[in-house]
Amino acid sequence: MDRAQIPKILKSPANWGRKYSLWAVYFCTGCGIIEIPPVVTSRWDAERFGVIPMATPRQGNLFLITGYVSLKTLGAIIRTYDQMLNPKYVVGFGSCPVNGGMYWDSYNTIKHLDQYVPVDGWISGCMPRPEAIFIAVTHLWTLIDKGLADGYKRYKDNYDFYCANQRRVLPHLPKFACGTGTETATAPATLRMPT
Amino acid sequence: MEIAVLLSVALLGAMAVYVAGRFSARGRNALAVLVALAVMVGVALLYGRGVRMAYYRLPILDATLVLRSNPLAWFFAMAVAAIGFFSILFSLEYMKGHARLGFYYAAMLVVNGAMLGIVLSGDLISLYVFWEIMSWTTYLVISYRGGRAVAAGLKYMVMSIIGSCAMLLAIVSVYVHCGTLEIAALAEPMQSASTGFALFILLMFAIGFGIKNAVMPLHTWLPDAHSEAVSPFSAVLSGILVRMGMYGFVLIMYGVLGLGLLARFGSGVLSFGYLFAWVGALTIVIPTFTALLQDDSKRLLAWHGVGQGGYMILGIAMATPLGIAGGIFHTLNHCIYIALLFLVAGAVEYRTGGIRDLNQLGGLAKRMPVTFVGGLAGICGLIGVPLTNGFASKWLIYKALIADGHPFLAFAALVGTWGTILSVYKFQHNTFLGQLPERYKDVKEVPFVMQLPILLLTAAILVFGIFPGIPLGAIGAIQRSLGLEALRVGAFSVPPEVGELNTITILAAVAGGCLVPYILFRLCRRSRTVAQADTYGAGAYAPADRYQYSARFYDRAYAVIEPYVRDRVDAFYYWLVEKSEGVFEAARHLYGGNVNTYALYIMLFLALILAVGFGWGL
Amino acid sequence: MWVVGIIALPLLAIGVSVFFLGVSRKVTARIQRRYGPPLYQPVIDVVKLLAQEEHVSHGMVFDAGMVLALGGSLATVLFIPVGGLHPLSAGGDLLVILYLMLLPPLGLALAAGAAENPNASIGVSRKLILALGYEVPFLLALLAVMTQEGTTSLVAIAEAQQPSVLEWGLVRAPLSALAVALVLPAMLGLRPFDMATAPQEIASGTLVEFGGKYLVLAALQGALHTYIVIALFVDLFLGGGANVLTFLAKMGVVFFGGLLINAVYPRVRIGQALRFCWKWPTLLALLGLVVVMVMGR
Repeated sequence: MDRAQIPKILKSPANWGRKYSLWAVYFCTGCGIIEIPPVVTSRWDAERFGVIPMATPRQGNLFLITGYVSLKTLGAIIRTYDQMLNPKYVVGFGSCPVNGGMYWDSYNTIKHLDQYVPVDGWISGCMPRPEAIFIAVTHLWTLIDKGLADGYKRYKDNYDFYCANQRRVLPHLPKFACGTGTETATAPATLRMPT
Repeated sequence: MEIAVLLSVALLGAMAVYVAGRFSARGRNALAVLVALAVMVGVALLYGRGVRMAYYRLPILDATLVLRSNPLAWFFAMAVAAIGFFSILFSLEYMKGHARLGFYYAAMLVVNGAMLGIVLSGDLISLYVFWEIMSWTTYLVISYRGGRAVAAGLKYMVMSIIGSCAMLLAIVSVYVHCGTLEIAALAEPMQSASTGFALFILLMFAIGFGIKNAVMPLHTWLPDAHSEAVSPFSAVLSGILVRMGMYGFVLIMYGVLGLGLLARFGSGVLSFGYLFAWVGALTIVIPTFTALLQDDSKRLLAWHGVGQGGYMILGIAMATPLGIAGGIFHTLNHCIYIALLFLVAGAVEYRTGGIRDLNQLGGLAKRMPVTFVGGLAGICGLIGVPLTNGFASKWLIYKALIADGHPFLAFAALVGTWGTILSVYKFQHNTFLGQLPERYKDVKEVPFVMQLPILLLTAAILVFGIFPGIPLGAIGAIQRSLGLEALRVGAFSVPPEVGELNTITILAAVAGGCLVPYILFRLCRRSRTVAQADTYGAGAYAPADRYQYSARFYDRAYAVIEPYVRDRVDAFYYWLVEKSEGVFEAARHLYGGNVNTYALYIMLFLALILAVGFGWGL
Repeated sequence: MWVVGIIALPLLAIGVSVFFLGVSRKVTARIQRRYGPPLYQPVIDVVKLLAQEEHVSHGMVFDAGMVLALGGSLATVLFIPVGGLHPLSAGGDLLVILYLMLLPPLGLALAAGAAENPNASIGVSRKLILALGYEVPFLLALLAVMTQEGTTSLVAIAEAQQPSVLEWGLVRAPLSALAVALVLPAMLGLRPFDMATAPQEIASGTLVEFGGKYLVLAALQGALHTYIVIALFVDLFLGGGANVLTFLAKMGVVFFGGLLINAVYPRVRIGQALRFCWKWPTLLALLGLVVVMVMGR
């Protein structure tokens, strides 16, 4: 930490904390996850950036959507995202969240992730190298500093838009309440186990 | 005079309740509460007064039957009256809708009165009579529910009778030796008894009181009886009824025999005190670890009833002021928190339709908060968390053991706490924490008349934990009345030569310590509460009724612990019963039903008598 | 004078434990031949968690449990002598400390139970079984030390070891010290005994629903628990400390040893952990107690 940083830290300690302590939810959404273990282990050492994997979404504030998003996975992604606590950042990792990537003509994947959950940044590539992940992290730091990493605020403000899109592809999705104050947790009757 | 009035009210009131039950249920309930309350007030008024009343003269044995009150008697009488009152209060709502309620209330009050009679008796015949009354009325109330409770009651009755026979043998021997039956007058003649005779008396009484107090290996009746009885009576049973055995131990060991005589029983490792302490240590370790294998909430608590008795025995086996005070104090404390826990288990039973199976409950803290807090206080007392009464008495016992140089006994006592922690956390978690099953989502809190005993007992746990000097003052009076050295304590601290314990310091430290995180807590944003289903499920939606971890809560530990705590004593007793039944079955065949055979028996027996008579020149 | 102790001791404890947290991550990283986060990384984490814009709770038991857990740890800290600082030792001896150490796990177990998650319940069950495992040799060793010194006061035990290295518990009761050293990783929740909060198996166990301020309380409680256990070990076996600095130096050495073991060992199963704790450490501690009793005659 160099001396020039200290005034910035004192001005906004919250931003300092959020930047240098990005905890990634260790949810392996797709094939892109194969790039994450090398990143967090000794060779590329993400921990020196403050990025460590966390097992539960309650503790994670960075969500890397790695690889293609099938409809089933989208349900889990939405539920995991709803369980994360604000402020939270989503990064689309690989070409598939951006525009469908390799599966651009599949019936079972979604093509544009940011219609369903708000995305703060994209990393293109199939797969992106670990260095690309680190560059993305530093870009995210800049966004956090400038206050532009506000995907979670967009989610709250445009909740109906996102919810409508989610319901369009996943009509029976049971969702958790995510603090927007407008919706409560719903459980469809089909999800009750037969007694 | 007051004692006679008190006992008459207690026993005749029971009859009156039964009669009143024939006319009006409400009248019967009100009368039962009144009788229990009057008894409690009457006992409270006896505080500090040593009264003695000869109430009957038995011409046959030239004996006077006496009732008396001294500090020891008052201490136990107060516990009896209080727990009796609380259980009657609890029964008002809990037993609604059951059959034969007049019989139930009458029997409860008779048990209450009989226990009062035991502690207030001044002579051995009264003690024995009241002991027997208590035994069979207990059997009646245990088997009140029918079904498996009858077998449990029968097991209790058989073992209790064996104990009573041993006691009777001891009483008769004492009478033959001392010529008097009055307890206060027994101490002097017993000093001149031979060591063997005194040891014999002590052992016979120990069998009787040991069976009642559920000392290992005489404990096997307790888990069945306490779990099958109705919950208010389980509270009485586990709380104070088994501690009648403790009263007996203290009375005989220190009231009749005294320290000097006790010291004569062997020396060093083979002394009565040391072996008795090891029995206590065994009684702590095995039952507390058996409890964590149980799936029935009341059976789990019943095994703790056995286990904690070991602490009391460890305490009084150490013939030091610290130890005896600790043992008697633990009797009172255990009475409070085990009664509380049985009432809590009963409250849960009441609202869930009789469910005792811990694998089927869960999450009830949200629906029954008062019961949850009561359960929490009870388990904290049982574990011995600082600031609860259990900690104060356990501290005294540990200190007595370590100061006297018995680290292995202290180890047994300390490791028993860990068995307790595991088993009662399982009880609390499986009942109150975790996810609430769908079928219990409309469960309500118990009515206030059932909450009242729970709240009062919780308050007692905290008050006696923060101010242990209050009951220890009464215990000091007991020690002085028995001719022992009393333990000097302040209201909330012990003097430096005894040790370092200051409950107000601990309270301040914990309160101050909790203040810091609380401030931190409030400085952050307020949290929002989420629904039960909104919990981590790896991105999946948790299915209702399928997301609770309760069954086989300590699965991995069972394989390691189970071989050690299998109830081999119970198996042994059942084997004994089977073999005896074989013998009795063989003896039955003597009764052939054939008159000619009977005539032959008579002839043979006469011939035998003649032969014996001629042989001895009679 | 004791007012200074009451304020200084918890601050010292929190400072030292947070420092230990940072050191652990850095040292583990270096052992794994990478750079690792800066030493003040735990401070960054705590600031982030406290400054979160929302926190999620599962009810009052959840909240109260966590407050009780950290409160219990802070209360325990006040009773453990740190090289001359022991403001409240006249109110509680080693038995009181031993039982005050039950409050934090109780609070954590209540909060984890209230989290309505089977992962949390499994975590608590593993934590309690592990505690059952390590308490057996630990209690035997404690009793050996208490019998040897003839007192239950931790201050007296620490002061009796002051004169020279030969008076240390390590030298006078070596078997007991070895037994406790063997179960020290279990008491600290380090590998090979960190199955109670296993991230990979049970989604962090007891911590599964803890986010934001609750995680801060849990992390601080965990760090303070490390401090308490290591301080106890130093007071019992390593001669306490003539002053705070020597005490902290000894604590650092013990912690470093634990870190080295944590960095190279894998995790064992809870059944294996229980069997291990009840085998060699228990035998050693039992032998140590027998030796103390025989020599004491």
